[in-house]
Amino acid sequence: MIDHDAYRRALLADPRDDSAELVEHREACAECSAYRERLLRFESRLQRALTLDMSNLQRARRPRLALAASLLLALVVAGAVWLAAPRAGLAAAVIEHVVDEPQSWSSQAPVADAALAGVLHDARMHLRAGAGEVSYASSCEFRGHVVPHLVVQSASGPVTVMVLVHEHTAAQVEFDERGYRGVIVPIAGHGSIALLMRSSEANMQDVEGVAARVRRAIVWEP
Amino acid sequence: MKDRFGGNQRRARFQALCQSLRPDLLRFAFWLSRDRALAEDVVQASMLRAWKAQDSLLDEAAAKPWFLTIIRREFARTFERKRLPCVDIDELIKSEEPSLAAAEENDLAELRAAIFKLPDEYREPLVLQVLMGYSTAEIARELNLSGPAVLTRLFRARSQLRTLCGEDLPDARNSRDAK
Repeated sequence: MIDHDAYRRALLADPRDDSAELVEHREACAECSAYRERLLRFESRLQRALTLDMSNLQRARRPRLALAASLLLALVVAGAVWLAAPRAGLAAAVIEHVVDEPQSWSSQAPVADAALAGVLHDARMHLRAGAGEVSYASSCEFRGHVVPHLVVQSASGPVTVMVLVHEHTAAQVEFDERGYRGVIVPIAGHGSIALLMRSSEANMQDVEGVAARVRRAIVWEP
Repeated sequence: MKDRFGGNQRRARFQALCQSLRPDLLRFAFWLSRDRALAEDVVQASMLRAWKAQDSLLDEAAAKPWFLTIIRREFARTFERKRLPCVDIDELIKSEEPSLAAAEENDLAELRAAIFKLPDEYREPLVLQVLMGYSTAEIARELNLSGPAVLTRLFRARSQLRTLCGEDLPDARNSRDAK
């Protein structure tokens, strides 16, 4: 069996290493088992420390490297790689809207069917069963149009869903800004839907799951 | 017409890929460079290179490591082109304070400052492992190191961080370097 030094060296190199010899030592050594617990707590902090808030990071100061080549290529990119701008703008607008309605996150009771139907009717749609439990539904003004603003409960917490019939996007785009993580999903012929969670509880698998359920449940009215 | 449509589709997919990966790529570049503006420059230049070389990306699932490799090379090129000035770490930490200490994350500021102080050769594998989820073998491949060398660097990185943060007093058991 490996000794304490070897165990701790291995653990510091990779705290999630669960090789047989490490497990064997840990199970036989209470001191090293406690050490591992402390290290895993530290590892969790380390993970959070490295995952910087991109909204801070993206607020760049004047670039220090004024690379002529970069600028030239940046012009090329304006129509190509850096096309994120319009969608990023949409994501920012969705976040802005959600920030202005903090109460939407807190309600947990299901919205009455009639109230939900009224909100969805404004967007000429209704939802079949299976979209998930809707805990908030409001007809909201968004970029000059009235759109359904819903909150659907998921395993990891509430997911905001905005049905944006007037906002078209070519491809699915994920975003992570201002403490919110989410995705904008194109809907062929019907604009897009935006889904987001608060970053503190965000689970993109849940977001994707809600997106898929809502898409399947939407019935567009003529 | 078909070609044009196909090209548009391909472009849209690539744009979506860039957009979805950009936050992680920026984080990686930031921890590599410890400088927001430089990180943005490097990521921007890297995406341009990626755009030109997109035919070499055969599997979208491998896009993140592909981008990270481009970023590392671009970062190295930046150093070759322009000798960046040596910086005082304390000044650097002060200048990047808004990034390091968002209001709700004060408890992490000390740890971030400690990460800043790590030597490059320790910080980079640590970021690849913890932030990017790389295995030891993947880090070894990316950094052109042996597996044991990677483990040694990771061990030293965490040992130094924990000492800097007062997590572990260096003692005979945990301060001894891995050989």
